[in-house]
Amino acid sequence: MTSLAYTRRAALVLGVAGLAIAAAPAQAAPAVGQPAPAFQAVDFNGKTRSLAEFRGKTVVLEWTNNGCPYVQKHYNSGNMQSLQKQATAEGVVWLTIISSAPETQGYLTGPQAKAWKTKAGAASTTVLLDPTGKVGRAYDARTTPHMYVIDKAGKLVYMGGIDDKPTANPESLKDAKNYVKAALSDVKAGRSVAVATSRPYGCSVKYAQSVAD
Amino acid sequence: MMRLLAGLLMALAFAGAAAAQPVDTGHLTAELVPQARGIAPGQTIYVALRQKIDKGWHTYWKNPGDSGEPTQIKWTLPPGFTAGDIVWPAPHKQPIGPLMNYGYSDEVVLPVPVTAPADATPGQTVTLKAAASFLVCADVCVPEDAVLQISLPVSAGPVGADPQGGRAIDKALAQAPKRAALQAAFQQRGPALQLAVTGAPLKAANFVDAYFFPYSATVIDHAKPQAIEQGTEGLTLTLAPGYDFQNGPGPSELAGVLAVGGQAYEITARQAPLPAAAAGLGPPAAAGGSGAGSSTMSLIPAVLLAFLGGLILNLMPCVFPILAMKAASLAGHAHEAAAARRQGLAFGVGVLATFLILAAVLIALQQAGQAVGWGFQLQSPAVVAGLGLLMLLVALNLSGVFEIGTSLQGAGGTLATRSGLAGAFFTGALAVVVAAPCTAPFMGPAIGWALTQTEPAALAVFTALGLGFALPFVLVAFVPAFIGRLPKPGPWMDIFKKALAFPMYGAAAWLLWVVAQQADAAFLARVLAAAILVAAAAWIGGAAQRGHAMGRRHVPQAALAAGIGAVAVAAAFWPVSAPHVEAEPYSAERLAALQSEGRPVFVNYTAAWCVSCQVNERVALSTKGTAQAFKRYNVAYLKADWTKKDDVIAADLARFGRAGVPLYLVYPGGGGDYAILPNLLTEASVVKAVEAAAKGSR
Repeated sequence: MTSLAYTRRAALVLGVAGLAIAAAPAQAAPAVGQPAPAFQAVDFNGKTRSLAEFRGKTVVLEWTNNGCPYVQKHYNSGNMQSLQKQATAEGVVWLTIISSAPETQGYLTGPQAKAWKTKAGAASTTVLLDPTGKVGRAYDARTTPHMYVIDKAGKLVYMGGIDDKPTANPESLKDAKNYVKAALSDVKAGRSVAVATSRPYGCSVKYAQSVAD
Repeated sequence: MMRLLAGLLMALAFAGAAAAQPVDTGHLTAELVPQARGIAPGQTIYVALRQKIDKGWHTYWKNPGDSGEPTQIKWTLPPGFTAGDIVWPAPHKQPIGPLMNYGYSDEVVLPVPVTAPADATPGQTVTLKAAASFLVCADVCVPEDAVLQISLPVSAGPVGADPQGGRAIDKALAQAPKRAALQAAFQQRGPALQLAVTGAPLKAANFVDAYFFPYSATVIDHAKPQAIEQGTEGLTLTLAPGYDFQNGPGPSELAGVLAVGGQAYEITARQAPLPAAAAGLGPPAAAGGSGAGSSTMSLIPAVLLAFLGGLILNLMPCVFPILAMKAASLAGHAHEAAAARRQGLAFGVGVLATFLILAAVLIALQQAGQAVGWGFQLQSPAVVAGLGLLMLLVALNLSGVFEIGTSLQGAGGTLATRSGLAGAFFTGALAVVVAAPCTAPFMGPAIGWALTQTEPAALAVFTALGLGFALPFVLVAFVPAFIGRLPKPGPWMDIFKKALAFPMYGAAAWLLWVVAQQADAAFLARVLAAAILVAAAAWIGGAAQRGHAMGRRHVPQAALAAGIGAVAVAAAFWPVSAPHVEAEPYSAERLAALQSEGRPVFVNYTAAWCVSCQVNERVALSTKGTAQAFKRYNVAYLKADWTKKDDVIAADLARFGRAGVPLYLVYPGGGGDYAILPNLLTEASVVKAVEAAAKGSR
């Protein structure tokens, strides 16, 4: 009957542990400071890419929809491209993700996405196609643009808007504070990201309706 | 006389107001309408932007929700005239896919107070100009804008309603959210925010469609359903916290519009205890069972689920051995049914009492820690690693590597084996505590729900859990036929116990897997090292115990075991306060760029699997002295990581005549030859090399 006694001591400590486990939230929404949700998606060349392959590098996720006026504000002005250029030149992996469902605004096939990227002069690493919205939903991506920064350890360090001017007016770019730029320089300098979340703004992501939430 | 003058001005106003032309911007028609036909010096009247929106399209409220943008108006007014903020009508919910927006469809009137200066000259006509910009969305969004204007005569005194805008603006103002005699408070409870609103206007209100529209877009998760609980004096809404609560305690106030029973109230809730009269009567009738997810689970299913969960807990590997042994001891009393029954009841009481104590502790903890939110503990890799090591210890213990508390054994043994009622009571208590780690899958939803509810509801759930848990054993005690069929205690129990170690090893493995998701490889390595040390300590300790049991004294072993255990814990959790020298990934371009800036560059060719590289990084590169030297001489630190196959780095290494890592190079600031450092670094050698490189550049 000795087992009873020692199990008991361990149990007292375990009790607390177990309750902690029991109370942990069931489904994890993406949160800053937490590991970024893993994902796989096909790029515009039809190749399956995963977040895991970029472990060890800083990764930017950009949700886009080329028909959205807010996205156009950043692309027509060259603002998004210059940010992409600056980031990728410093070794950052920049993944542009399209979660528009087929027949909705912004949906592009692989060749279309490739043509759009070339035409826009985008300097992103690649464009990922997420027509089922699986990746978008995993990240709780709400708007285009909606931006995420993942550090080298795979931890989400920024999520939110691209800047602090929630409008489609290109004039606003002049005195906008670009949160992604700031987050990337914080990450680069080894600082913790000063503004780690902000309200994303833009058009709603045109998710497939069939995968009801 | 006044009236006559006013009448005259009114006629003039008609002529002037004709300048207001509706503008079709594509998906809506916008126009400015005044509340009155004129404005007197010093008077404030409302001028509204009216949007007639195409079918299927909408514009947005001041907080547009998850996407969208509110309508904005920029005024150009005559000197002295001022315009205030838009009086926003209560918005409608506009769910779109997994998102939620707040806005307007069909027609909306957005009144703005406009004040004339006291020295405005009656008889003059003024032009009010508004540049309105708005986002109009159906499934796609279009930003549209319009420059609108109206001319308004300055009247000597207040004049009558404008035929166009008068009634529409009065209606909009009447329906606009009002401050009322309402008290609002909110608290964070577990993963949810609870907003309680009480006051006379809510006493007989219909709460079915009650909804809170926050002014800020970041305080709640708009798309999550808002569960409604009625109370005698008001209601409680359960909201999902938004971004603001993610990085800290969250805001101290929640301000917004409460739409309830066709009315809209402006409320500002402060973080404060929730009034009891705001809850306790369940969800409103028509809304009962609506919505999805555990947040809207009502009390009855939660209690049933908890009861079922309690039953299932009996089969859990953490619990079954204890129950089986206790039941076996009952078997010894098979002939005295009354004693068995008393024991069964005592066991049941022990189970229930323990569950209620746990519930009280949880509620207290949760209220104390509500600012951080329950569940945060498991977000800390250190805590998870600690739990993992604990699970490992338990598993080793079950495997028989060591025993715990030979001295306690007596007490435990007496308590648990004695036929006394106290023994049965404590077995019940023990079983509950042991069961806790196994509760997650079954009790998670019920406990999670309970923690967002009022205390009585939480207690009801825990009681149900306890009843379910205690039932099988109490049944066994009451129906002697079952007792007779129980297996007899014997050597099989030891085998059974050792078999049960494996689920525990599994739990430890699982927790370490979680750590791997949360922390970097270095931390995982420390935890794994700690795990090995823990196992070694347990084994040495076990050996000492066995020696002791044979009458020998084994103080050295015991001390050694304790020492190794302490080292293990330190290895895992000692904060690495290494002054971090921030490294950039190496590339030839980056190197060239840094050199062109005139900075000395330290290049570290390394790999995770290279032990000497890691040693060098610890003893020479991550030290305070090195960090200071790098800083002083503005040295850029590049890391060429060869952990994975990399042809560029391999080619580089070959260029320097190396087949592998480590390789340390220092490039002087002003160009010139690099220096190759020895493969074994010390802080002094690094500092010296860096110093030389910096001096060479000046």
